Amino acid sequence: MTEYGLRVGRAELGSAGPITFGPAGILFLADNAAATVFAVDVNDPGRPAGAGPFELADVDGRVGSLLGGDAADIAIRDLAVHPDSGNIYLSVQRGHGEQAQAVLVRIDRADASISDVPLTDVPVAAVTIADAPAPDDERVDVILPLGDEGEQITVGSRTIRILRRPIRTSTITDMAYVDGALLVAGLSNEEFSSKLRRIPFPFTDGAGAAGNNLEIFHVSHGKWETAAPIRTFVPYDGGRAILASYTCTPVVHFPLAELAPGTKTVGRTVAELGAMNQPLDMVSFVQGGEEYLLVANTSHGLIKIARRDIDAQAPLTEPTEPVGVPRETADLQGITRLANLDGEHVLALQTDPEGRRHLRSLKSASL
Amino acid sequence: MVNRSEVDWNGANRSGVAVSWSRHGEADCIRLAGLAGPAGLASCAQEVRIHPATAVALRTAPPMAGRLLRDGPDTCFLPRFPFLDGTAYIVTVDGAVVAELTRARADEAATTEVLAIHPSAATVPRNLLRCYVWFSAPMSEGQAAAHVRLVDDAGEVLAGALLATEHELWDAGRRRLTVLLDPARIKRGLAPHREAGYPLRSGAPFRLVVDDGFRDARGRRQRVGAERRYQVAGDERRHVDPQAWTLRVPRAGTADPLEVGFDRPLDHGLVARCLRVVGPEGRPVDGVADVGAEERSWRLVPRHGWAAGPYRLVVDPVLEDLAGNSVGRVFDRELARPTDDPRGAGPVAVMFHPG
Repeated sequence: MTEYGLRVGRAELGSAGPITFGPAGILFLADNAAATVFAVDVNDPGRPAGAGPFELADVDGRVGSLLGGDAADIAIRDLAVHPDSGNIYLSVQRGHGEQAQAVLVRIDRADASISDVPLTDVPVAAVTIADAPAPDDERVDVILPLGDEGEQITVGSRTIRILRRPIRTSTITDMAYVDGALLVAGLSNEEFSSKLRRIPFPFTDGAGAAGNNLEIFHVSHGKWETAAPIRTFVPYDGGRAILASYTCTPVVHFPLAELAPGTKTVGRTVAELGAMNQPLDMVSFVQGGEEYLLVANTSHGLIKIARRDIDAQAPLTEPTEPVGVPRETADLQGITRLANLDGEHVLALQTDPEGRRHLRSLKSASL
Repeated sequence: MVNRSEVDWNGANRSGVAVSWSRHGEADCIRLAGLAGPAGLASCAQEVRIHPATAVALRTAPPMAGRLLRDGPDTCFLPRFPFLDGTAYIVTVDGAVVAELTRARADEAATTEVLAIHPSAATVPRNLLRCYVWFSAPMSEGQAAAHVRLVDDAGEVLAGALLATEHELWDAGRRRLTVLLDPARIKRGLAPHREAGYPLRSGAPFRLVVDDGFRDARGRRQRVGAERRYQVAGDERRHVDPQAWTLRVPRAGTADPLEVGFDRPLDHGLVARCLRVVGPEGRPVDGVADVGAEERSWRLVPRHGWAAGPYRLVVDPVLEDLAGNSVGRVFDRELARPTDDPRGAGPVAVMFHPG
């Protein structure tokens, strides 16, 4: 793993965020509390751990059981599938508030056994996600810590302990690895901007480590242009293109090759999700030799878009229905996360009407 | 799920095993007294299981991660992840339930409250994009969607007004929450805007409400709920233009404040970091800056007296107004309007000379 700059150490996760696999089975984990992305060798057995569909009911209750909490104490923030073994990794926040802990969980595809993945004494590298436009922002929130965190200061005759934390933060909403770079989409807690970071991997030291910021605009109906934060995205066409969805919901395509720092990129809108609907996750899969993209969203079932339709799609200039047909069958409702399980199945995290969460496999051929 | 008849709720049961909360060194543990024989420990590792009570119904849920240690005649279960307050745990030995133990929830008085809600302006544009809520203590995540809302004067919730997101936007101290109105309903031309319209209506007042169920980091409710009422004006769709601001320039030789008046309220979060003053030698002027009422003004009291100048008020182009228009760009610019065109990505400076 030294070839990727990983050294034995500890990935001290302050919060559970998006995860995605990179080269050689290295898992990237976003920690929004620490504004850091870790690259960890998860020491997966690496052998194909099973084939065929994978189903696990009540995944939140089962993970909660291992971690000593109820299903309501478990937030599954993301899922990823190991590219060689097919084992399933979950980014889990366990507990709330002061008791909250970020845990990486592995589910064995062969026998559905659940274990927590060690993040101490493992090969690890880290990069800080700095907010490039304001490195001189000195504002901090000063609070009296509850434990022994922070620093001790003396004011007059009194000595107190204080904790300084930055006020401006950036929340990573999605990540993907393409050709030697980690792409990171984020949401600022202050300005409304559309920054997609491209961080070279192996991570390098210094200013370059924060990656270059790419701003992608989108235009609605040929009249209004906005730079909005990207919420979720997926590389497709062998990593040559990106399908992204913004917080303001249009699904937009742009070629990766066109992205260069300092140049303006305008994404081409290929679909709109409609009112009161938010994008949640995307995945690309192959059916009958053709590539398709699936978009999970809050209001409809899955939306399926054919790559050839994206390639042929002129920018949306008039109100229109989403390209592709939303998969509205009842059993595809409530899907919040998607990942490729293997060439024939897409793995989905689904919340049922009672609020219980299940892992299930969707057969690519029937989507 | 648990056969309560098997369990003696004082901690002992028919199997003769007494189970209790205890400590092992520095750590919390579950202590089992009266397990069979000294040879028992090796087999205990196979036989003692702890599950959260709610997981028992799943039947095949994995037991709680942890290890068993011998402590004198007793056996202690030390969890890998700490027990959670308010959670009930089932202890089984050889598959039979021997106890249910509930972790006490700290019953502390509610002391956390909302310190401020921004914007602090009484009137906001119809295309208002962002609000901020400051709490007096660190908060729990995952609460905002259920406990922050916009309501009209009749108390009816403005459905879909706020951006529904699993990604809550907090500062690192978890005391300031950023609340976005749904940008899809604000940006012109998008389906949500056409179908559902703006989240707000001009002339229809609304309130931002934070109810007392919003849990702080210790799991306590708010001491009291909070709200702020706003009037709604028309749309704001112009660049933030520092050249339109009024400067009250101090006299040279004094340490009087530089006072800057804006032509409209600006974003609470950004205005606090996007302004600085640079002196004749290009060095930032050291001093105390603060933002005025309604985020309509800013002033800087210098640590040392003003020289003759020239000075520059330097504005970061990301500075936004309440509707997300910045110095550099209009939130949803109309391509056919040249006045909406983006203005460079570099800082904008306003020159002044202390008199």
